[in-house]
Amino acid sequence: MESALLRRIITGVVLAALFLLPVFEPHQFVLHMLSLVAISATVALGLQLLLGFSGQLSIGQAAFYGIGAYASGLLSTKLGLPFPLAFLAAGLIAALTSLLMVPITRLTGAYLAVATLGFSILVYLVLKNEEWLTGGSFGLMGIPRASFFGYVLAKPAHAYLLCVSVAALVYLSLLRLERSRFGRAINAIRQNEDAARACGVKVTLLKSQCFVIAAFVAGLGGSLYAHQVRYLAPTDFTFWKSVEILIMVVIGGMGSLFGAVLGAAVVVLLPEALREVGDYRMLVFGAILMGVMLFGESGLAGFLGQCLKPFSKR
Amino acid sequence: MPEAFLETVALSRRFGGLLAVDAVDFQVESGAIHGLIGPNGAGKTTLLNLIAGALSVTRGTLRFRGTDITRWHAARRAHAGIRRTFQNLKLFAEMTALENASLGLHAGTRSGIFAALARTPGQRREEREIAQAALRALEFVGLAAQAHVAAAKLPYGYRRLLEIARAMVAQPALLLLDEPAAGLNQTEAVNLSGLIRRIREQGTTIVLVEHHMDVVMTVCDTVTVLNYGRKLAQGTPAEIQRSPEVIEAYLGSAHALA
Repeated sequence: MESALLRRIITGVVLAALFLLPVFEPHQFVLHMLSLVAISATVALGLQLLLGFSGQLSIGQAAFYGIGAYASGLLSTKLGLPFPLAFLAAGLIAALTSLLMVPITRLTGAYLAVATLGFSILVYLVLKNEEWLTGGSFGLMGIPRASFFGYVLAKPAHAYLLCVSVAALVYLSLLRLERSRFGRAINAIRQNEDAARACGVKVTLLKSQCFVIAAFVAGLGGSLYAHQVRYLAPTDFTFWKSVEILIMVVIGGMGSLFGAVLGAAVVVLLPEALREVGDYRMLVFGAILMGVMLFGESGLAGFLGQCLKPFSKR
Repeated sequence: MPEAFLETVALSRRFGGLLAVDAVDFQVESGAIHGLIGPNGAGKTTLLNLIAGALSVTRGTLRFRGTDITRWHAARRAHAGIRRTFQNLKLFAEMTALENASLGLHAGTRSGIFAALARTPGQRREEREIAQAALRALEFVGLAAQAHVAAAKLPYGYRRLLEIARAMVAQPALLLLDEPAAGLNQTEAVNLSGLIRRIREQGTTIVLVEHHMDVVMTVCDTVTVLNYGRKLAQGTPAEIQRSPEVIEAYLGSAHALA
C-alpha cells in the first residue's frame, strides 16, 4: 500500500474513533483525562512546529499556554466575553506576546533555550505577583464552562468533543503547513541554515513566524484548559510545564506531528496509570522516559512507523 | 566600456588581522564561464562568499547588473538571481533529492502560511509547478532516478550534482560554483565539465572556483588568479597557463599546468 494512503487511512480511523468515543459512555474521569490529553497535544503540536520542524528549542511554551489560559479566563470572568471570542483572543494575545521573542530568534541551541526559559520564568512571576489582575497565588476562580451562543458544554462528553475538535483542527492545519512551501523552508532552516539562505529563505522572518504560530496554538490550548478546569493557578504554568511540553515532543518523536500527540498522551496519562506504584510514580516515569530515548531518537512515532513498515511500500 | 554583469570594486574582507580579500577589482561578463583559481588560502572562497552574500564586505563595492548590492543579505541576492553551491556540501540531509531541488524555488514562488492552510487553488497549482520544475532540474543534472532518495543517502558524486540542481532549478542569472569537482573521479569531472557548459547554454553566467585544472582550463573563457587575497592575473586559460608570474606564485613550476 502507498505509504501516503496508509497514513491517511490511519489518521481517518483514529480521528473517527476519538470522535465516536463518547457514544460508549466512558466514565467522566476518562473523558476528563482525554480532554487534558487533547489540550496538551494542541500545545505540543505547536512546539513540534517550532522545534521539530524549524529546529528552535524553546523551554518556554508554558508561558504562552499560561497567557492564553489567563487571557481567556479573565476575558470571560471580568468582561463576560463569550467563549468563542475569549478562545480566539487567547490565541491572538499569546501570539502577540510571542513577538517579544523576535529579537532572540537569532539565538540557537542552548542559548535560545535559556532565553525562552527566562521568558517562561518572567511570565510565571507576573501571573503570581500581579494580584489585581490574575488573583496572584490564590488563582483565578469561577471560570465558566465553554459555551457556544448560549449553549453550555456542561457534559464532560461535550467538553471532550470540543478539546478533540481543536486538537484535530490544529493537527490537520499543521499537516498542511508541513507539506507546503513554508513547511519545506522551515525544515530547511533546521537542516542547514546557510543553504536555506542561499535558496532565498528569509530565515529570521520564518523563525519568528514559527514562534508566533506555536504561541498562537499554545494560547488556544491554554483557553481550553481554563474552561475545562475552571480554576487557574500560577503553579500550573511554571517552567516544569514547559519541560513537560518539551518531553511530549521529544519522546513522541521530533518532527512528527503524530508523535507530538502520542507524546502528549504518554506524559498526561502515564503518571495516572502509575498511581499504583505510589511514591515511586515519578521515579518510574523518569526511567520510562530514559528508556524511550535509549530506544531511539525517532521516539514513539518512529517506533510505530517501524511496526507499520511491512504494510507499506516505499 | 559596457557595464559589467558582475563587478567588484576594491572589494576587501578582513578576518581579524588577515585581509582575506584585498582590494580586488573583478569583472564578469554576461554569459561567461569565469574561473577563479589560486593556491589554498588565496581568498577564492571568501570572494565567492562575498558575492553570494554569505559574508559581509569590509570595504569596497559589489555591483550586479548595474545595481549596488554590497549591503544586500544573502536571501535577497538569491531572489535577484544569484545562486551558489557549497564547497563542503550543504544539502538538506533528511529531505529527498526532489525536496532539495524544490527548496531552490523558494525565491520566485510566493504561497505563504495562509494559502497553505486554505489550500487555495493558486497554492496547489504552485506546488505542482514546483514539483515539476524540481524534477526537470534533477533530470538536467542526471538525478531524476534518485528523486525520492534522501540527500544523506546519495553517493558523494550525486550529492555534488544535487547542489547544482538546487541552484539551477530557479534558472539563475548568475551561478557561483565552489569547487564542484572536489572529490570527483576523472569520469565524473569530465561529465561535470559538460554540465557546466550546458548550464551556460541555459543563459546562466558562471563563476567557478576550482582546483581541478582540467576542468578550469577546458570550460572557462576567462580565468582570474588570486594570491594572498590579491588579484594576480586575469586572462584566457591559455594566457594564464603561459603567465610566468602565475606559474611562479601559484604552481612553482611550469610543467604542472600542462
